[in-house]
Amino acid sequence: MNKVLITGSEAAALGAKLAKIEVLGYYPITPAFPAMERLSKYIEDGELNCKFIRVESDHSALASVLGGSLAGARSYTVTNSQGLLLMTEVVYHAAGLRQPIVMGVANRALSAPHSRFPEHGDAVSQGATGWIQLFSENNQDVLDNTIQAFRVAEELRTPVMVNYEGYLQSHTLEEVFVPDQGKVDAFLPLKRMPALDVTNPRGVNTVAGPDVYTDYKYIQNAAMEQALELIPKVAADYNREFGANSCGLIEGYMMDDAEHAIVAMGSIVGTARLLVDELRKQGKKIGLVKVKTWRPFPAQAVNQILKNVKYVTVLDKNIVFGVGGALATDIKANLYGQGSMVINGAILGLGGGKCGVKEIKEAVDHTESSENKNRSEWIGL
Amino acid sequence: MAVKNLPIVPSGDPGALVEAANYATWRIFRPVITESAKVNPIVTLYCPDGAITVDESGAEVNYKLCKGCGICAKESEGIQMVPEYTGPKGVF
Ligand code: SF4
Repeated sequence: MNKVLITGSEAAALGAKLAKIEVLGYYPITPAFPAMERLSKYIEDGELNCKFIRVESDHSALASVLGGSLAGARSYTVTNSQGLLLMTEVVYHAAGLRQPIVMGVANRALSAPHSRFPEHGDAVSQGATGWIQLFSENNQDVLDNTIQAFRVAEELRTPVMVNYEGYLQSHTLEEVFVPDQGKVDAFLPLKRMPALDVTNPRGVNTVAGPDVYTDYKYIQNAAMEQALELIPKVAADYNREFGANSCGLIEGYMMDDAEHAIVAMGSIVGTARLLVDELRKQGKKIGLVKVKTWRPFPAQAVNQILKNVKYVTVLDKNIVFGVGGALATDIKANLYGQGSMVINGAILGLGGGKCGVKEIKEAVDHTESSENKNRSEWIGL
Repeated sequence: MAVKNLPIVPSGDPGALVEAANYATWRIFRPVITESAKVNPIVTLYCPDGAITVDESGAEVNYKLCKGCGICAKESEGIQMVPEYTGPKGVF
């Protein structure tokens, strides 16, 4: 285990390199590109034995990675925002074809109007695709999640997105502990599961009639439900092997006696920790729930940790138009009938908008004082 | 109700759909090779379904895969699109 100062992009690339990916399909997009640049340098320098497929669009990038995976290769790509939207058709294919692809997503706001800044709208748009989605609080999470993602994906034959925010994480240097290659090899034994065989050609994604389509979807969803059990186990294994401190589905911070809980995912979790520390000093019983696994949604774990609180403030760096924040919507749906706590969603930090300690404090105050309970508030207009 | 036992990766033999639905076809017109020697090998790349092959022995269409889009006939000599269905008068 050695310690390095790297960006989130470098952490993603390093995670993929340690996992010894064999196929990388990529189309350049900002802010995901430095991860690809770093991986292509590893390949060029002979440090990584991987087929780098350069393509003409993000749709083809994921399609090439899907082909690699169907042939039995450990396959990876990275994208964000518009690129992820363009990929969407293949995102569904990969999940339905049960391919253990891992994809880094350097979250960026979606057009229109055009934005190059961080938010979770791109990841949220893919929330129904059947991909497991992990969120990263810091660059250490990016590396840890990427390595764990391959293990989860391959055991469940379900693809995994590792989300980290554009610029805030993709381009920001942080200290990261890097596991030893030998130990990662032992943690991630390569189990080949080729679906294609040149000596016995078959077609994948053949038509499923109404008699079996529902069954296929049921089986796919069952794998997602298994992920709720597997992800914490993989995180525990990882922590044991590497002396790391990686959470599985969720992590509670100062939650033991908390009356008010902030719930968040991604980089804003780190900022919310600062606020919790500050308010705790003033004697306020406040805690924080970090959601690392957003898909599948860890309903039981969330219900358990929130069961005694009076107030819940959910921070969403995304907006589902006409509904509210995606995380708040999930929390509310899953806490239905579980008590009488106030749950307020806060929409903030869209397209790189302000989402510092001050804005989170505003959201927290709002939850405790609001006349309009259980709805979405916009912070920082 | 029990969940059906299905392959993990939804897959089947090439052309499985055509066989499954052998009472039907998605083609309205089928490409027919009229002059094999004149068929430009580039059509093997243009065909969206990999349904046409051209080699020393000539050009051949795999009708299990061909969707009848007509791209090959548009792009090359030696291929003609002919109606698949020649039923009741007035339809074609
Ligand atoms: S008609 Fe279309 S699908 Fe059929 S062989 Fe020609 S190009 Fe291919």
